[in-house]
Amino acid sequence: MFNGQCSMNNMTSQEIYNRLTAVFRDVFDDETLTINPATNADEVEEWDSLSHVQLIVAVEQEFGVRFTSREILKWRNVGEMAEALQQKLS
Amino acid sequence: MQTPRFQNVLLLLASYAVYAYLDARMLWLLVAATLVSFAVGWGTQRLQAHGAERAAGILTTAGVSAAVGLLVAFKYLDFFAEGIVASMQSMGLNVSWTALHLVLPVGLSFYSFKLISYMVEVRRERILAERDFVAFAAYVAFFPTILAGPIDRPQHFLPQLHQSRALRWENLVSGAKMILWGAFMKVCVADILSPVTDMAWDAGGERLALWAFLMYPMQMYADFSGYSLMAIGVAKTLGFDVACNFRQPFMARNVAEYWRRWHMSLTTWVTDYVFMPLSLRWRDAGRWGLAAAVTVNLVVIGMWHGDSVTYLLFGLYHAMLFMPLVFGGTFGRNKKLRTARWGLPAATESMKMARTYLLVAVGFVIFRAPNAVAVWAFLCRLFTPALPMQPAPGGSRWFYLVVIFGALLTEYFMRNASSPLHFKGNGLMQRRWARWAVYYVLLAFLYICADTGAATQFIYTQF
Repeated sequence: MFNGQCSMNNMTSQEIYNRLTAVFRDVFDDETLTINPATNADEVEEWDSLSHVQLIVAVEQEFGVRFTSREILKWRNVGEMAEALQQKLS
Repeated sequence: MQTPRFQNVLLLLASYAVYAYLDARMLWLLVAATLVSFAVGWGTQRLQAHGAERAAGILTTAGVSAAVGLLVAFKYLDFFAEGIVASMQSMGLNVSWTALHLVLPVGLSFYSFKLISYMVEVRRERILAERDFVAFAAYVAFFPTILAGPIDRPQHFLPQLHQSRALRWENLVSGAKMILWGAFMKVCVADILSPVTDMAWDAGGERLALWAFLMYPMQMYADFSGYSLMAIGVAKTLGFDVACNFRQPFMARNVAEYWRRWHMSLTTWVTDYVFMPLSLRWRDAGRWGLAAAVTVNLVVIGMWHGDSVTYLLFGLYHAMLFMPLVFGGTFGRNKKLRTARWGLPAATESMKMARTYLLVAVGFVIFRAPNAVAVWAFLCRLFTPALPMQPAPGGSRWFYLVVIFGALLTEYFMRNASSPLHFKGNGLMQRRWARWAVYYVLLAFLYICADTGAATQFIYTQF
Protein backbone atom coordinates (compact mmCIF):
# COMPACT_ATOMS: atom_id res chain seq x y z
CA MET A 1 0.00 0.00 0.00
CA PHE A 2 1.33 3.39 -0.86
CA ASN A 3 0.91 6.48 1.24
CA GLY A 4 -1.00 9.34 -0.30
CA GLN A 5 2.10 11.46 -0.62
CA CYS A 6 5.28 10.12 -2.12
CA SER A 7 7.79 12.76 -1.17
CA MET A 8 11.39 12.56 -2.29
CA ASN A 9 12.40 11.40 1.18
CA ASN A 10 10.01 8.45 1.19
CA MET A 11 11.18 7.30 -2.21
CA THR A 12 14.79 7.49 -1.13
CA SER A 13 13.98 5.51 1.99
CA GLN A 14 12.24 2.82 -0.02
CA GLU A 15 15.09 2.68 -2.45
CA ILE A 16 17.52 2.30 0.42
CA TYR A 17 15.54 -0.63 1.74
CA ASN A 18 15.38 -2.23 -1.68
CA ARG A 19 19.10 -2.03 -2.15
CA LEU A 20 19.71 -3.14 1.43
CA THR A 21 17.51 -6.18 0.89
CA ALA A 22 19.61 -7.14 -2.10
CA VAL A 23 22.79 -6.80 -0.04
CA PHE A 24 21.36 -8.80 2.84
CA ARG A 25 20.22 -11.55 0.51
CA ASP A 26 23.65 -11.74 -0.99
CA VAL A 27 25.61 -11.74 2.27
CA PHE A 28 23.34 -14.25 4.00
CA ASP A 29 22.89 -16.33 0.86
CA ASP A 30 19.11 -16.36 1.17
CA GLU A 31 16.95 -15.21 -1.72
CA THR A 32 13.80 -15.20 0.37
CA LEU A 33 15.09 -12.93 3.11
CA THR A 34 13.05 -9.82 3.87
CA ILE A 35 14.03 -7.01 6.17
CA ASN A 36 12.15 -4.31 8.01
CA PRO A 37 13.26 -1.55 10.41
CA ALA A 38 13.03 -3.86 13.40
CA THR A 39 15.12 -6.67 11.93
CA ASN A 40 18.25 -7.48 13.86
CA ALA A 41 20.70 -10.33 14.42
CA ASP A 42 18.28 -12.21 16.67
CA GLU A 43 15.95 -12.81 13.75
CA VAL A 44 18.32 -13.83 11.02
CA GLU A 45 19.83 -17.22 11.64
CA GLU A 46 23.11 -16.63 9.85
CA TRP A 47 23.74 -13.14 11.15
CA ASP A 48 26.55 -13.37 13.66
CA SER A 49 29.67 -11.38 14.45
CA LEU A 50 31.55 -12.59 11.40
CA SER A 51 28.79 -12.02 8.90
CA HIS A 52 28.07 -8.67 10.59
CA VAL A 53 31.44 -7.36 9.44
CA GLN A 54 30.91 -8.81 5.97
CA LEU A 55 27.51 -7.13 5.90
CA ILE A 56 28.97 -3.75 6.84
CA VAL A 57 31.63 -4.02 4.16
CA ALA A 58 29.02 -5.00 1.58
CA VAL A 59 26.69 -2.14 2.57
CA GLU A 60 29.52 0.39 2.44
CA GLN A 61 30.53 -0.82 -0.99
CA GLU A 62 26.97 -0.85 -2.30
CA PHE A 63 26.22 2.71 -1.22
CA GLY A 64 29.72 4.09 -1.57
CA VAL A 65 29.83 5.38 2.02
CA ARG A 66 32.12 4.93 4.97
CA PHE A 67 31.02 4.70 8.61
CA THR A 68 33.10 5.05 11.75
CA SER A 69 33.26 2.15 14.19
CA ARG A 70 31.41 4.27 16.69
CA GLU A 71 28.50 4.81 14.33
CA ILE A 72 28.29 1.13 13.46
CA LEU A 73 28.42 -0.08 17.05
CA LYS A 74 25.43 2.07 17.94
CA TRP A 75 23.02 0.34 15.59
CA ARG A 76 20.58 -2.01 17.22
CA ASN A 77 18.57 -2.95 14.15
CA VAL A 78 18.25 -2.44 10.42
CA GLY A 79 16.12 0.66 10.96
CA GLU A 80 18.96 2.48 12.67
CA MET A 81 21.39 1.39 9.96
CA ALA A 82 19.00 2.66 7.27
CA GLU A 83 18.60 6.00 9.03
CA ALA A 84 22.33 6.40 9.26
CA LEU A 85 22.58 5.58 5.55
CA GLN A 86 19.94 8.12 4.69
CA GLN A 87 21.77 10.80 6.63
CA LYS A 88 25.06 9.95 4.97
CA LEU A 89 23.54 10.03 1.50
CA SER A 90 21.68 13.30 1.83
CA MET B 1 2.79 -6.80 46.28
CA GLN B 2 6.19 -5.54 47.23
CA THR B 3 7.64 -2.72 45.19
CA PRO B 4 10.70 -3.38 43.04
CA ARG B 5 12.62 -0.93 45.17
CA PHE B 6 11.96 -2.87 48.34
CA GLN B 7 12.81 -6.16 46.68
CA ASN B 8 16.00 -4.75 45.25
CA VAL B 9 17.12 -3.49 48.63
CA LEU B 10 16.57 -6.95 50.09
CA LEU B 11 18.35 -8.54 47.15
CA LEU B 12 21.27 -6.18 47.47
CA LEU B 13 21.66 -6.76 51.19
CA ALA B 14 21.46 -10.49 50.66
CA SER B 15 24.03 -10.31 47.88
CA TYR B 16 26.46 -8.30 49.96
CA ALA B 17 25.91 -10.67 52.87
CA VAL B 18 26.77 -13.62 50.63
CA TYR B 19 29.81 -11.77 49.35
CA ALA B 20 30.90 -10.95 52.89
CA TYR B 21 30.67 -14.64 53.65
CA LEU B 22 32.77 -15.51 50.62
CA ASP B 23 35.37 -12.77 50.83
CA ALA B 24 34.73 -10.16 53.51
CA ARG B 25 38.05 -8.38 53.05
CA MET B 26 37.31 -7.46 49.45
CA LEU B 27 33.68 -6.44 49.80
CA TRP B 28 34.78 -2.82 49.81
CA LEU B 29 36.29 -3.30 46.34
CA LEU B 30 33.03 -4.60 44.95
CA VAL B 31 31.15 -1.64 46.40
CA ALA B 32 33.76 0.89 45.29
CA ALA B 33 33.92 -0.51 41.75
CA THR B 34 30.13 -0.43 41.57
CA LEU B 35 30.05 3.21 42.67
CA VAL B 36 32.71 4.23 40.18
CA SER B 37 31.02 2.49 37.25
CA PHE B 38 27.67 3.96 38.19
CA ALA B 39 29.24 7.42 38.20
CA VAL B 40 30.99 6.83 34.88
CA GLY B 41 27.75 5.68 33.26
CA TRP B 42 25.86 8.67 34.58
CA GLY B 43 28.63 11.07 33.61
CA THR B 44 29.00 9.65 30.10
CA GLN B 45 25.31 9.99 29.40
CA ARG B 46 25.21 13.59 30.61
CA LEU B 47 28.22 14.53 28.54
CA GLN B 48 26.72 12.93 25.46
CA ALA B 49 23.45 14.71 26.08
CA HIS B 50 25.36 18.00 25.97
CA GLY B 51 27.17 16.98 22.82
CA ALA B 52 30.54 16.60 24.51
CA GLU B 53 31.44 13.46 22.57
CA ARG B 54 35.17 13.56 23.13
CA ALA B 55 34.85 14.07 26.88
CA ALA B 56 32.34 11.24 27.09
CA GLY B 57 34.73 9.00 25.20
CA ILE B 58 37.58 9.87 27.51
CA LEU B 59 35.45 9.23 30.60
CA THR B 60 34.35 5.83 29.37
CA THR B 61 37.86 4.89 28.39
CA ALA B 62 39.07 5.89 31.84
CA GLY B 63 36.36 3.84 33.53
CA VAL B 64 36.98 0.78 31.40
CA SER B 65 40.74 1.09 31.84
CA ALA B 66 40.29 1.25 35.59
CA ALA B 67 38.26 -1.94 35.58
CA VAL B 68 40.68 -3.69 33.26
CA GLY B 69 43.59 -2.37 35.32
CA LEU B 70 42.03 -3.83 38.44
CA LEU B 71 41.70 -7.21 36.81
CA VAL B 72 45.20 -7.11 35.39
CA ALA B 73 46.69 -6.06 38.71
CA PHE B 74 45.15 -8.91 40.62
CA LYS B 75 45.48 -11.58 37.96
CA TYR B 76 48.54 -10.83 35.94
CA LEU B 77 50.82 -8.50 37.84
CA ASP B 78 53.01 -11.27 39.17
CA PHE B 79 53.09 -12.91 35.76
CA PHE B 80 54.32 -9.83 33.95
CA ALA B 81 56.56 -8.60 36.73
CA GLU B 82 58.32 -11.92 37.06
CA GLY B 83 58.79 -12.03 33.34
CA ILE B 84 60.29 -8.56 33.29
CA VAL B 85 62.51 -9.29 36.29
CA ALA B 86 63.65 -12.58 34.79
CA SER B 87 64.65 -10.97 31.52
CA MET B 88 66.37 -8.11 33.30
CA GLN B 89 68.31 -10.56 35.43
CA SER B 90 69.35 -12.52 32.41
CA MET B 91 70.82 -9.29 31.07
CA GLY B 92 72.88 -9.01 34.18
CA LEU B 93 70.80 -6.36 35.92
CA ASN B 94 70.43 -6.97 39.60
CA VAL B 95 66.81 -6.47 40.38
CA SER B 96 64.45 -8.28 42.63
CA TRP B 97 60.75 -8.45 42.92
CA THR B 98 58.87 -9.71 45.91
CA ALA B 99 55.86 -11.33 44.40
CA LEU B 100 52.80 -9.60 45.69
CA HIS B 101 50.86 -12.83 45.53
CA LEU B 102 47.73 -10.80 45.52
CA VAL B 103 44.79 -13.02 46.19
CA LEU B 104 42.19 -12.64 43.51
CA PRO B 105 39.02 -11.21 45.02
CA VAL B 106 36.09 -13.53 44.68
CA GLY B 107 34.15 -13.02 41.48
CA LEU B 108 36.35 -10.18 40.21
CA SER B 109 36.76 -11.71 36.76
CA PHE B 110 33.00 -11.86 36.45
CA TYR B 111 31.76 -8.64 38.00
CA SER B 112 34.43 -6.48 36.43
CA PHE B 113 33.15 -7.72 33.08
CA LYS B 114 29.62 -6.73 34.03
CA LEU B 115 30.85 -3.24 34.89
CA ILE B 116 32.80 -2.83 31.65
CA SER B 117 29.82 -4.04 29.69
CA TYR B 118 27.60 -1.44 31.37
CA MET B 119 29.94 1.47 30.73
CA VAL B 120 30.43 0.53 27.09
CA GLU B 121 26.72 0.01 26.43
CA VAL B 122 25.94 3.45 27.86
CA ARG B 123 28.68 4.95 25.70
CA ARG B 124 27.31 3.20 22.63
CA GLU B 125 23.90 4.61 23.52
CA ARG B 126 22.35 1.18 23.46
CA ILE B 127 21.03 1.51 27.01
CA LEU B 128 20.19 4.41 29.26
CA ALA B 129 22.38 4.95 32.28
CA GLU B 130 20.79 3.42 35.33
CA ARG B 131 19.31 5.99 37.64
CA ASP B 132 18.64 3.69 40.57
CA PHE B 133 21.86 2.84 42.35
CA VAL B 134 20.28 0.04 44.36
CA ALA B 135 19.12 -1.71 41.20
CA PHE B 136 22.52 -1.26 39.59
CA ALA B 137 24.36 -2.54 42.63
CA ALA B 138 22.01 -5.52 42.82
CA TYR B 139 22.81 -6.30 39.16
CA VAL B 140 26.54 -6.24 39.85
CA ALA B 141 26.48 -8.17 43.12
CA PHE B 142 23.62 -10.57 42.23
CA PHE B 143 24.47 -13.42 44.51
CA PRO B 144 23.54 -16.48 42.41
CA THR B 145 26.00 -15.43 39.71
CA ILE B 146 28.60 -13.44 41.63
CA LEU B 147 30.90 -16.38 42.20
CA ALA B 148 31.39 -17.84 38.74
CA GLY B 149 28.88 -16.30 36.35
CA PRO B 150 27.09 -16.51 33.94
CA ILE B 151 27.98 -12.94 33.06
CA ASP B 152 24.75 -11.04 32.58
CA ARG B 153 24.42 -8.04 30.32
CA PRO B 154 22.83 -4.86 31.60
CA GLN B 155 20.31 -4.63 28.76
CA HIS B 156 18.83 -8.00 29.71
CA PHE B 157 19.15 -7.86 33.45
CA LEU B 158 18.50 -4.29 34.58
CA PRO B 159 14.93 -4.24 33.17
CA GLN B 160 14.13 -7.25 35.33
CA LEU B 161 15.17 -5.31 38.40
CA HIS B 162 12.76 -2.55 37.50
CA GLN B 163 9.82 -4.88 37.84
CA SER B 164 8.62 -6.53 40.97
CA ARG B 165 9.04 -10.28 41.16
CA ALA B 166 6.32 -12.44 42.58
CA LEU B 167 7.01 -15.87 43.96
CA ARG B 168 5.60 -18.07 41.20
CA TRP B 169 5.09 -21.78 41.24
CA GLU B 170 6.32 -22.13 37.63
CA ASN B 171 9.55 -20.39 38.54
CA LEU B 172 10.13 -22.59 41.57
CA VAL B 173 9.52 -25.73 39.54
CA SER B 174 11.60 -24.53 36.62
CA GLY B 175 14.43 -23.47 38.91
CA ALA B 176 14.30 -26.73 40.82
CA LYS B 177 14.60 -28.70 37.58
CA MET B 178 17.66 -26.74 36.56
CA ILE B 179 19.24 -27.17 39.97
CA LEU B 180 18.54 -30.90 39.87
CA TRP B 181 20.11 -31.38 36.46
CA GLY B 182 23.03 -29.10 37.33
CA ALA B 183 23.72 -30.97 40.54
CA PHE B 184 23.55 -34.27 38.67
CA MET B 185 26.09 -33.09 36.12
CA LYS B 186 28.42 -31.78 38.77
CA VAL B 187 28.22 -34.59 41.29
CA CYS B 188 27.56 -37.62 39.10
CA VAL B 189 29.64 -36.76 36.07
CA ALA B 190 32.29 -34.16 36.87
CA ASP B 191 33.23 -35.36 40.32
CA ILE B 192 33.39 -38.97 39.15
CA LEU B 193 35.77 -38.09 36.34
CA SER B 194 37.92 -35.72 38.31
CA PRO B 195 39.99 -38.16 40.43
CA VAL B 196 41.04 -40.02 37.31
CA THR B 197 42.05 -36.98 35.32
CA ASP B 198 43.89 -35.60 38.33
CA MET B 199 45.72 -38.90 38.70
CA ALA B 200 46.65 -38.90 35.04
CA TRP B 201 48.11 -35.43 35.27
CA ASP B 202 49.67 -35.47 38.70
CA ALA B 203 50.79 -39.03 39.11
CA GLY B 204 51.82 -39.44 35.48
CA GLY B 205 50.26 -42.82 34.87
CA GLU B 206 50.80 -43.79 31.24
CA ARG B 207 47.76 -45.88 30.99
CA LEU B 208 45.45 -43.20 32.28
CA ALA B 209 46.53 -40.63 29.77
CA LEU B 210 44.18 -41.69 27.01
CA TRP B 211 41.23 -41.90 29.34
CA ALA B 212 42.03 -38.50 30.84
CA PHE B 213 42.49 -37.03 27.37
CA LEU B 214 39.07 -38.19 26.24
CA MET B 215 37.24 -37.49 29.45
CA TYR B 216 38.63 -34.11 30.47
CA PRO B 217 36.41 -32.04 28.16
CA MET B 218 33.41 -33.93 29.52
CA GLN B 219 34.55 -33.24 33.04
CA MET B 220 35.04 -29.53 32.39
CA TYR B 221 31.68 -29.33 30.71
CA ALA B 222 29.83 -31.20 33.42
CA ASP B 223 31.50 -29.19 36.17
CA PHE B 224 30.97 -25.78 34.71
CA SER B 225 27.60 -26.32 33.06
CA GLY B 226 26.41 -28.02 36.23
CA TYR B 227 27.47 -25.05 38.28
CA SER B 228 26.01 -22.57 35.81
CA LEU B 229 22.71 -24.40 35.77
CA MET B 230 22.50 -24.36 39.52
CA ALA B 231 23.18 -20.63 39.56
CA ILE B 232 20.62 -20.04 36.80
CA GLY B 233 18.14 -22.26 38.64
CA VAL B 234 18.51 -20.34 41.89
CA ALA B 235 18.02 -17.08 40.02
CA LYS B 236 14.96 -18.58 38.37
CA THR B 237 13.33 -19.40 41.69
CA LEU B 238 13.77 -15.73 42.56
CA GLY B 239 12.03 -14.81 39.32
CA PHE B 240 15.09 -13.80 37.30
CA ASP B 241 16.11 -14.93 33.84
CA VAL B 242 19.83 -15.24 33.66
CA ALA B 243 21.96 -15.64 30.52
CA CYS B 244 22.48 -19.15 29.25
CA ASN B 245 26.04 -20.45 29.44
CA PHE B 246 26.08 -23.72 27.52
CA ARG B 247 24.13 -25.16 24.63
CA GLN B 248 25.24 -28.75 24.03
CA PRO B 249 28.81 -27.78 23.07
CA PHE B 250 29.75 -31.25 21.93
CA MET B 251 27.15 -31.07 19.22
CA ALA B 252 29.39 -28.53 17.52
CA ARG B 253 30.43 -29.52 14.02
CA ASN B 254 33.33 -27.13 13.90
CA VAL B 255 35.35 -25.01 16.28
CA ALA B 256 33.41 -21.84 15.51
CA GLU B 257 30.16 -23.52 16.43
CA TYR B 258 31.82 -24.90 19.57
CA TRP B 259 32.58 -21.40 20.78
CA ARG B 260 28.99 -20.40 20.14
CA ARG B 261 27.92 -23.15 22.53
CA TRP B 262 30.63 -23.08 25.25
CA HIS B 263 30.69 -20.56 28.10
CA MET B 264 28.45 -18.40 25.99
CA SER B 265 28.18 -15.51 28.41
CA LEU B 266 31.95 -15.05 28.27
CA THR B 267 32.43 -15.59 24.56
CA THR B 268 29.58 -13.28 23.56
CA TRP B 269 31.03 -10.67 25.91
CA VAL B 270 34.48 -10.89 24.34
CA THR B 271 32.92 -10.98 20.86
CA ASP B 272 30.93 -7.81 21.50
CA TYR B 273 33.67 -5.80 23.18
CA VAL B 274 36.86 -7.09 21.60
CA PHE B 275 36.09 -8.83 18.31
CA MET B 276 33.46 -6.41 16.98
CA PRO B 277 35.45 -3.18 17.40
CA LEU B 278 38.65 -4.79 16.12
CA SER B 279 37.10 -6.52 13.15
CA LEU B 280 35.39 -3.26 12.16
CA ARG B 281 38.60 -1.31 12.55
CA TRP B 282 40.46 -3.81 10.38
CA ARG B 283 37.72 -4.48 7.87
CA ASP B 284 39.75 -3.09 5.02
CA ALA B 285 42.26 -5.87 5.47
CA GLY B 286 39.69 -8.48 4.39
CA ARG B 287 40.35 -12.01 5.57
CA TRP B 288 43.62 -11.04 7.23
CA GLY B 289 41.85 -8.41 9.32
CA LEU B 290 39.34 -11.04 10.41
CA ALA B 291 42.11 -13.50 11.20
CA ALA B 292 43.84 -10.95 13.37
CA ALA B 293 40.62 -10.03 15.18
CA VAL B 294 39.78 -13.70 15.76
CA THR B 295 43.26 -14.30 17.15
CA VAL B 296 43.06 -11.40 19.60
CA ASN B 297 39.57 -12.53 20.56
CA LEU B 298 40.66 -16.05 21.44
CA VAL B 299 43.83 -14.95 23.18
CA VAL B 300 41.72 -12.70 25.42
CA ILE B 301 39.38 -15.60 26.16
CA GLY B 302 42.33 -17.81 26.99
CA MET B 303 44.11 -15.28 29.15
CA TRP B 304 40.96 -14.31 30.99
CA HIS B 305 41.38 -17.63 32.78
CA GLY B 306 44.62 -16.62 34.41
CA ASP B 307 48.26 -15.77 34.23
CA SER B 308 49.74 -19.00 33.02
CA VAL B 309 51.45 -19.13 29.64
CA THR B 310 49.40 -22.23 28.88
CA TYR B 311 46.26 -20.07 28.82
CA LEU B 312 47.90 -17.92 26.18
CA LEU B 313 48.87 -21.00 24.19
CA PHE B 314 45.35 -22.31 24.57
CA GLY B 315 44.01 -19.14 22.98
CA LEU B 316 46.56 -19.30 20.16
CA TYR B 317 45.79 -22.95 19.53
CA HIS B 318 42.09 -22.24 19.09
CA ALA B 319 42.87 -19.24 16.94
CA MET B 320 44.89 -21.54 14.71
CA LEU B 321 41.91 -23.87 14.42
CA PHE B 322 39.81 -20.96 13.23
CA MET B 323 42.07 -20.08 10.34
CA PRO B 324 40.73 -22.62 7.85
CA LEU B 325 37.25 -21.37 8.69
CA VAL B 326 38.16 -17.71 8.33
CA PHE B 327 39.91 -18.16 5.01
CA GLY B 328 37.43 -20.70 3.77
CA GLY B 329 34.65 -18.32 4.71
CA THR B 330 32.25 -20.84 6.18
CA PHE B 331 32.10 -20.18 9.88
CA GLY B 332 29.07 -17.99 10.03
CA ARG B 333 26.71 -20.72 9.00
CA ASN B 334 24.54 -22.39 11.67
CA LYS B 335 23.09 -25.12 9.58
CA LYS B 336 20.30 -27.23 10.99
CA LEU B 337 21.42 -30.61 12.25
CA ARG B 338 20.65 -33.48 9.92
CA THR B 339 19.21 -36.41 11.79
CA ALA B 340 18.96 -40.08 10.95
CA ARG B 341 17.13 -42.92 12.62
CA TRP B 342 15.61 -42.36 16.05
CA GLY B 343 16.46 -38.69 15.85
CA LEU B 344 20.16 -39.30 16.30
CA PRO B 345 22.57 -37.20 14.25
CA ALA B 346 23.41 -38.32 10.71
CA ALA B 347 26.73 -40.08 10.19
CA THR B 348 28.55 -37.15 8.62
CA GLU B 349 27.32 -34.88 11.38
CA SER B 350 28.51 -37.32 14.02
CA MET B 351 31.93 -37.50 12.39
CA LYS B 352 32.23 -33.73 12.51
CA MET B 353 31.20 -33.72 16.16
CA ALA B 354 33.78 -36.37 16.97
CA ARG B 355 36.47 -34.46 15.10
CA THR B 356 35.60 -31.24 16.89
CA TYR B 357 35.62 -33.06 20.21
CA LEU B 358 39.13 -34.37 19.60
CA LEU B 359 40.40 -30.94 18.61
CA VAL B 360 38.83 -29.47 21.73
CA ALA B 361 40.36 -32.26 23.84
CA VAL B 362 43.84 -31.31 22.62
CA GLY B 363 43.05 -27.73 23.52
CA PHE B 364 42.13 -28.83 27.01
CA VAL B 365 45.45 -30.63 27.40
CA ILE B 366 47.10 -27.26 26.81
CA PHE B 367 44.62 -25.61 29.17
CA ARG B 368 45.18 -28.10 31.96
CA ALA B 369 48.95 -28.50 31.66
CA PRO B 370 51.05 -26.90 34.41
CA ASN B 371 53.49 -25.55 31.83
CA ALA B 372 54.22 -25.64 28.13
CA VAL B 373 56.63 -28.55 28.29
CA ALA B 374 54.10 -30.75 30.05
CA VAL B 375 51.74 -30.35 27.10
CA TRP B 376 54.09 -32.15 24.76
CA ALA B 377 54.92 -34.76 27.38
CA PHE B 378 51.26 -35.53 27.94
CA LEU B 379 50.46 -35.75 24.24
CA CYS B 380 53.36 -38.16 23.75
CA ARG B 381 51.97 -40.41 26.44
CA LEU B 382 48.80 -40.81 24.45
CA PHE B 383 50.65 -42.90 21.95
CA THR B 384 52.05 -45.50 24.34
CA PRO B 385 50.41 -48.81 23.52
CA ALA B 386 48.71 -49.51 26.81
CA LEU B 387 45.07 -49.88 27.61
CA PRO B 388 43.45 -47.40 29.96
CA MET B 389 43.12 -49.06 33.30
CA GLN B 390 40.25 -48.81 35.74
CA PRO B 391 39.08 -45.20 35.96
CA ALA B 392 39.12 -44.92 39.72
CA PRO B 393 39.95 -47.20 42.63
CA GLY B 394 36.93 -49.17 43.72
CA GLY B 395 34.80 -48.08 40.76
CA SER B 396 33.36 -49.84 37.79
CA ARG B 397 34.40 -48.43 34.44
CA TRP B 398 31.13 -49.41 32.83
CA PHE B 399 29.02 -47.67 35.44
CA TYR B 400 30.79 -44.40 34.76
CA LEU B 401 30.61 -44.75 31.05
CA VAL B 402 26.90 -45.49 31.22
CA VAL B 403 26.25 -42.46 33.42
CA ILE B 404 28.30 -40.15 31.22
CA PHE B 405 26.91 -41.49 27.98
CA GLY B 406 23.42 -41.36 29.41
CA ALA B 407 23.88 -37.76 30.46
CA LEU B 408 25.14 -36.78 27.00
CA LEU B 409 22.32 -38.58 25.25
CA THR B 410 19.74 -37.00 27.53
CA GLU B 411 21.12 -33.56 26.82
CA TYR B 412 21.04 -34.28 23.11
CA PHE B 413 17.38 -35.23 23.16
CA MET B 414 16.54 -32.29 25.41
CA ARG B 415 18.37 -29.86 23.14
CA ASN B 416 15.27 -28.14 21.86
CA ALA B 417 13.74 -27.70 25.29
CA SER B 418 13.88 -24.25 26.81
CA SER B 419 16.00 -25.60 29.64
CA PRO B 420 16.93 -28.99 31.07
CA LEU B 421 14.15 -31.32 32.14
CA HIS B 422 11.49 -29.10 30.58
CA PHE B 423 9.69 -31.73 28.57
CA LYS B 424 7.56 -30.64 25.67
CA GLY B 425 5.63 -32.42 22.96
CA ASN B 426 3.17 -35.26 23.18
CA GLY B 427 5.43 -38.13 24.00
CA LEU B 428 6.02 -40.27 27.00
CA MET B 429 7.27 -37.36 29.06
CA GLN B 430 3.86 -35.82 29.27
CA ARG B 431 2.91 -38.52 31.72
CA ARG B 432 3.44 -37.45 35.28
CA TRP B 433 4.83 -40.79 36.35
CA ALA B 434 7.43 -40.75 33.58
CA ARG B 435 8.72 -37.34 34.55
CA TRP B 436 8.84 -38.20 38.21
CA ALA B 437 10.62 -41.45 37.42
CA VAL B 438 13.33 -39.36 35.78
CA TYR B 439 13.57 -37.06 38.77
CA TYR B 440 13.83 -39.97 41.19
CA VAL B 441 16.48 -41.65 39.09
CA LEU B 442 18.52 -38.45 39.08
CA LEU B 443 18.13 -38.03 42.82
CA ALA B 444 19.18 -41.65 43.32
CA PHE B 445 22.28 -41.08 41.24
CA LEU B 446 23.03 -37.95 43.22
CA TYR B 447 22.80 -39.92 46.42
CA ILE B 448 25.03 -42.73 45.13
CA CYS B 449 27.66 -40.46 43.65
CA ALA B 450 27.78 -37.96 46.49
CA ASP B 451 28.44 -40.86 48.78
CA THR B 452 31.73 -41.74 47.14
CA GLY B 453 33.22 -38.66 48.75
CA ALA B 454 34.76 -37.51 45.52
CA ALA B 455 33.10 -34.10 45.69
CA THR B 456 35.51 -31.41 44.64
CA GLN B 457 35.42 -27.69 44.36
CA PHE B 458 33.94 -26.07 41.30
CA ILE B 459 36.72 -25.59 38.82
CA TYR B 460 35.63 -22.17 37.59
CA THR B 461 35.60 -20.41 40.94
CA GLN B 462 39.37 -20.16 40.68
CA PHE B 463 39.10 -17.88 37.61
